[in-house]
Amino acid sequence: MSTSKSPTSTPSQSTSFPFPSIYSFPPFFTRQPNGQTWTSQLSLWNSLILAYCRYNRIWRIDLNTAIEWDLFNNRDINRSLKLETCREILDSMVKKGDAEWVPGSGSHAAKNASAIIYWRRPEEWANIIADWIDSTGQKNAILTLYEIAEGDLSLSQDFRGIDPTILRKALDVLIRRGQAQIMKSADGEEAGVKFFGNQ
Amino acid sequence: MSMRRGVGLAAFDNHERTAQQYSDLGSTILQTHISELTDQLLTFQTALKRFAKSHADEIRSDPVFRSEFVKMCSAIGVDPLASSSANKKGSFWAELLGRDVNDFFFELAVRIIEICRRTRDENGGLMLVEDVKARINSVPGRPPVSQEDIVRAVNTLAPLGHGFGIVRLAHKDFIRSVPQELNRDQAVAIEATQALGYISVEILRDNLRWETARCIAVLDDLVASGLVWVDEQARPKEYWTPSWIRP
Repeated sequence: MSTSKSPTSTPSQSTSFPFPSIYSFPPFFTRQPNGQTWTSQLSLWNSLILAYCRYNRIWRIDLNTAIEWDLFNNRDINRSLKLETCREILDSMVKKGDAEWVPGSGSHAAKNASAIIYWRRPEEWANIIADWIDSTGQKNAILTLYEIAEGDLSLSQDFRGIDPTILRKALDVLIRRGQAQIMKSADGEEAGVKFFGNQ
Repeated sequence: MSMRRGVGLAAFDNHERTAQQYSDLGSTILQTHISELTDQLLTFQTALKRFAKSHADEIRSDPVFRSEFVKMCSAIGVDPLASSSANKKGSFWAELLGRDVNDFFFELAVRIIEICRRTRDENGGLMLVEDVKARINSVPGRPPVSQEDIVRAVNTLAPLGHGFGIVRLAHKDFIRSVPQELNRDQAVAIEATQALGYISVEILRDNLRWETARCIAVLDDLVASGLVWVDEQARPKEYWTPSWIRP
């Protein structure tokens, strides 16, 4: 049984993540020297990271702390992914659009490199939120970001507890589509988002 | 007095006439034989056609029946997997017997090519037949294929020059899907990986009695060809076969 650290964010499952068999393959934790082998290794890590984050509802990876997770350390076979290799993998995920570096923590910074993980792309989140607005009869409602992510009506939704940055990106998609609008209060502060429902 | 045995010139005369009679009789018998044979062949051809048609389903769905059918064809000198554009003489029978067999192996070959293409970066173009079979049979709604089916399908690809072939290593069948063939040292080294899943300079040196330089050279070769994955956290460094990655 693995005794490595798990992320501190609350896992939604009572059982631990079911790792695929590649996770037990020792060379998986070594940055492969052969270019084609590395290409397939990157792809496997990409899928694994997305699946792991989805399962554990992890919205962002902070490189320096995440490197301790069981995701990157298999105690059963005593193998660990190097920080630099992890950064290379996240870089590649960013290029693919499956992740985004948090501004100011970019890949060339020595510390505090943090990445948002899109186990669903913002467009997908936009669709899910729009459908939820319709099915809960919240058309024309004005909701704060907090209400969307943490309100009673979103309890069983996939976007429950969604990272604010990702939520904002999803709302930007809806705004571009004309399905939502930012409402400002009298003093010009952002008060919430008004939804027009699916058109 | 006997009429059969003539004496003198009379005997000679008789022999010629007899010979002529025999010759005539021979021609008649030959003609009869030919027309009988033709009839029999026609009957046989019809029966064969009907047989092939009625067993099309079994050919498709039952690996054991399929195997026996192909063996039967070979036994009577027919290659049901021969392409119709090749041997014109053989293609008549191939057409008759082989259509369903041909279709089956053609489709299988296409699926094999696709699987090899998708996994090439991971395994360098060398994959266990058993693993290809598992992938094909994991798709629901299709009758299962056997290892023999896969080997046959790959062998139909070999003469087409795409670099496909079957390689037997450590008593297991592999599909090679790249033109580059393994040289002797590489083949022996890959066979050695099948014991524990990996090899190292030390393992090759101790078990094969190769000099260190030779061990290093072959391992570098295998890495360059993408046929092994490196584990640098192992002491000594280990070189793993991707065939050890379970699906």
